[in-house]
Amino acid sequence: MLQEVLQSLPQVLVDGLTLGAVYAVVALGYTMVYGILQLINFAHGEVFMSGAFIGTAFFILIMGMGWAAEIPQFILLIIVLVLTASITGLVGVGLERVAYRPLRNAPRLIPLITAIGISFILQDVVRFIAELFNGNYIVTGPSLFSEQITLKASSISSIFFDARIKTSFLIVLGVAIVLMVALDYFVNKTKWGTAMRAVALDRETASLMSINVNKVISITFFIGSALGGATGVLFAVQYGTIDPYIGFILGLKAFIAAVLGGIGNIRGAMLGGMLLGLMEMFASANLSLLTGGVFGAEYKDVFAFAILILVLIFKPEGLLGKPTAEKV
Amino acid sequence: MTILEVNSLTKQFGGLTANKDITMTVEEGKITAVIGPNGAGKTTFFNMITGVYQPTSGDIKLDGKSIVGLKPDEVAKKGISRTFQNIRLFGEMSVIENVLVGMHTHLKTNLLGILLNLPFTKKEEASAEKEAYRLLEYFELDHLLNEKANNLSYGAQRKLEIARALATKPKLLLLDEPAAGMNPKETRELTEVIKRMGQEFNVTVILIEHDMKLVMEISEHIVVLDHGEKIAEGNPEEIRTNPKVIEAYLGSAAVH
Amino acid sequence: MKAKLASYFSNKWLQVILFSLFIIVTSAALYFSQKSVVSFLLLLSSLLILHYMSLKNVTKWITALGLLFILIPFASSGGPAFQSYMEVATMVGIYISMALGLNIVVGMAGLLDLGFVAFFAVGAYSYSIFATKQASNFMPFGNFPLGGESFWGFLIIGGIMAAIAGVLIGVPVLRVKGDYLAIVTLGFGEIIRIIFNNADRPINITNGAMGIASVTPPEIFGITLSFPNQFYFVTLFILMFTIFAVLRLEHSKLGRSWKAVRENEIAAQAMGIPLVKTKLLAFALGASFSGIMGVVFAAKQAFIDPTSFTLMESFTILVMVVLGGMGSVPGVILGAAVITILNLQVLTELTNWLNQLSLSGALSIPDALSPAKMQKFIFGALLVVFALYRPKGLIPAKNKIFDVKKLKDHRPDHLNNDTEKDSVPIDKVQV
Ligand SMILES: Nc1ncnc2c1ncn2[C@@H]1O[C@H](COP(=O)(O)OP(=O)(O)OP(=O)(O)O)[C@@H](O)[C@H]1O
Ligand SMILES: [Mg+2]
Repeated sequence: MLQEVLQSLPQVLVDGLTLGAVYAVVALGYTMVYGILQLINFAHGEVFMSGAFIGTAFFILIMGMGWAAEIPQFILLIIVLVLTASITGLVGVGLERVAYRPLRNAPRLIPLITAIGISFILQDVVRFIAELFNGNYIVTGPSLFSEQITLKASSISSIFFDARIKTSFLIVLGVAIVLMVALDYFVNKTKWGTAMRAVALDRETASLMSINVNKVISITFFIGSALGGATGVLFAVQYGTIDPYIGFILGLKAFIAAVLGGIGNIRGAMLGGMLLGLMEMFASANLSLLTGGVFGAEYKDVFAFAILILVLIFKPEGLLGKPTAEKV
Repeated sequence: MTILEVNSLTKQFGGLTANKDITMTVEEGKITAVIGPNGAGKTTFFNMITGVYQPTSGDIKLDGKSIVGLKPDEVAKKGISRTFQNIRLFGEMSVIENVLVGMHTHLKTNLLGILLNLPFTKKEEASAEKEAYRLLEYFELDHLLNEKANNLSYGAQRKLEIARALATKPKLLLLDEPAAGMNPKETRELTEVIKRMGQEFNVTVILIEHDMKLVMEISEHIVVLDHGEKIAEGNPEEIRTNPKVIEAYLGSAAVH
Repeated sequence: MKAKLASYFSNKWLQVILFSLFIIVTSAALYFSQKSVVSFLLLLSSLLILHYMSLKNVTKWITALGLLFILIPFASSGGPAFQSYMEVATMVGIYISMALGLNIVVGMAGLLDLGFVAFFAVGAYSYSIFATKQASNFMPFGNFPLGGESFWGFLIIGGIMAAIAGVLIGVPVLRVKGDYLAIVTLGFGEIIRIIFNNADRPINITNGAMGIASVTPPEIFGITLSFPNQFYFVTLFILMFTIFAVLRLEHSKLGRSWKAVRENEIAAQAMGIPLVKTKLLAFALGASFSGIMGVVFAAKQAFIDPTSFTLMESFTILVMVVLGGMGSVPGVILGAAVITILNLQVLTELTNWLNQLSLSGALSIPDALSPAKMQKFIFGALLVVFALYRPKGLIPAKNKIFDVKKLKDHRPDHLNNDTEKDSVPIDKVQV
């Protein structure tokens, strides 16, 4: 049995890292907003999904123009990423303005409810637009970076099987890492990043220090949503087919990743995302094997939630978070 | 007779020591005040007694039995009740319902009694309601009984918090800055009420207060905290003239 | 709007006359027409009008019961659409009961539960498994399917099973900070569905995605219940019990402790209320109402599969509670009725109507916009609009009004021979 697990390990690692990178960047959006507003932005998964659709639309649009065929794929990707991220970033800012800001002093239940509502609205608006233009809300984008590479894991040791990867795997992983490094730099080294951390620590004191809290919150939403949208594009490139409902469960899992890493903690979200991706892929490849066929891969979502519950019970502050006591 | 006994109580938040090695006793029936500049650790001290925070080290004994490690609701059942510095009423509930919640532990009815509206449930509820009303009368809040707690004035909210705390029928009542935000007239009235309360409800009061006039007037014993440490203890006269206390207050910005 | 109207006609007798006229006209219209959804809905809405009339609560209750048990079923029976009316009314009853259950959790205790349909599923599967051959796959003894009389016992078993599920979910979850509760319950809702969807291996308990068919119909006094109008009465009885229970709970020691926990956990604890236990009780009780209706649903449909218990169902019930008014029993009843009717009648009718229009070429609506598909958008918009502009819902929750006269009586209780006087009469409970 161990042998079989090992054989599939290279492929599990490759798939797990890809998925983990997606979780990690989406988790950043949750963790940043939570850190600053103590709000679970349920709609973030839908921002990610909108990013996937907007990105795909851009790809189709640009590649439909004859001359665009000359553009190298990589440049094209960068252009689409930037355009999409800007749009979803603005969507995020608008969302905060309309749905969360008026409720900042409301009971905590209320903004959660608007968040769910917004999430539904986004899903349905995207469904509607996709259906209108495409005839079907399940959309398949142009295939990019689709050359297959074989990772010769068996040449390292014969206990491994080879792993097969699409070039897009490297792109997804590479871009995700660049995004994460850039964000880490922004938060820790720039003026606005410092302001952001200050607001997260203590909103009132920060505003007394003449930090424009509303602006900081808007920036947080912009960055979080831009990252989410960009990840949506990467997702579309990697997996090809998208529908308006991909964001919900994926968003939940990204949130789980954020909790796993320590909510409010940016590096924690990255770590949590990667770990969750790897664990999930491992589970879906091996659950059936390990449980003698009782549980199959269809339980992989159950697995993610089980992780969430275990973390909340045994280490509620997450892997990299610090325990806090509520001031009374 | 000693009702509360605190032994080298310490609380640390990460690197910050909010309470350091505090030892003190509270005599039954005497009003004790805990004073000190802002951030001295007074509220933290209350939070440990009521089980909201667990002490880093040290012991707390109520009637000779340790209550460390109990949850806040268990502490409440042992007979310690409190009010909060930042008022924590049940804002959307009515004034009388707030007091009725205070009686929670004394209502013996169960699910079946409630669903079937059994006679003993009805009776118990009716007498609880009357008792709650009497408490409201005592604090002159009876005319507001059906008002939402959120709609009350600041002074009335503070009084309601005390009424609610008394509804639990405590042996020991901790008041965290009961006069904060009250106008002079309200403060005077409150002073009178606190004085009377001890005897009429058979409860020992410990209070945190920045209003020195009130403190000096009603307390029989005063404990002074500064930077988490107990720096003095004694009757009002002793405290008034204690050089350490004067320094703590003048040395800090918080003179009230 | 209706409230204003009612206060305008504050004269009690005028109200009664107008109200009687209204129900006579609508029920006559319903009885004599072949199919008139409008008059059916108007007749139902008479219950809402009744709520706002200035009558004694006892009178209102008696009138409402008369309407529900006699007039509505009778007036609907005039045309061929009888069973479809009864079907809708039954579904309304089922959803109201569930929404009232969720209202305990969300509205009173302030715990956002996004996986509520799981308990409905537990109830539904409890009955379906034992009222079909499914159970013989794993039960070492017994003769399955059980007979239709077992349905009545299963109403209780389903409720208990759901309550147990509620506690099992609650124990790990309710210790964590409130915010995560929403996510965790959502996860659990999905987990339970996934389990039902896959529990056909290694032992076939739920028959997986295929679902369970031919569930034995309930039987009473030798009569087999299989038509919607029969289930209508079953549902109505259970619903009345639910409403009664919820009203009792609301103004009791328990209801107060739930609200206290919702308003301020720390203060509630300081008053001696144990947090986890109190929340668990809310979870378990709310779940049991849902479980009971799950049994009814399974029996009524005679077929269940995991697709009836999706996330969307949980959200639908949440929308009902938010729309009606969190914590408000009459509000939640209204919210559940409105949303169920919207889902079952209005959206489909509207879609048919638009389809006909586009067939006749009068106007063309893209298929993507057809109302039946817009459910998510409508729910989302309702949630956002209500949270932003009317967070207390259509009929906001009210606190019980205490009567000073009754409280002023200072005689100690044991001297009080007249215990009746102390009791809270039903007309003081705000409905
Ligand atoms: N939960 C907590 N986490 C971290 N630090 C805390 C916590 N609670 C209190 N502190 C810190 O402990 C110190 C003492 O606080 P405390 O509230 O006990 O002071 P206090 O004497 O009640 O002051 P005040 O008169 O302003 O009410 C303060 O520095 C405060 O910031
Ligand atoms: Mg304090």
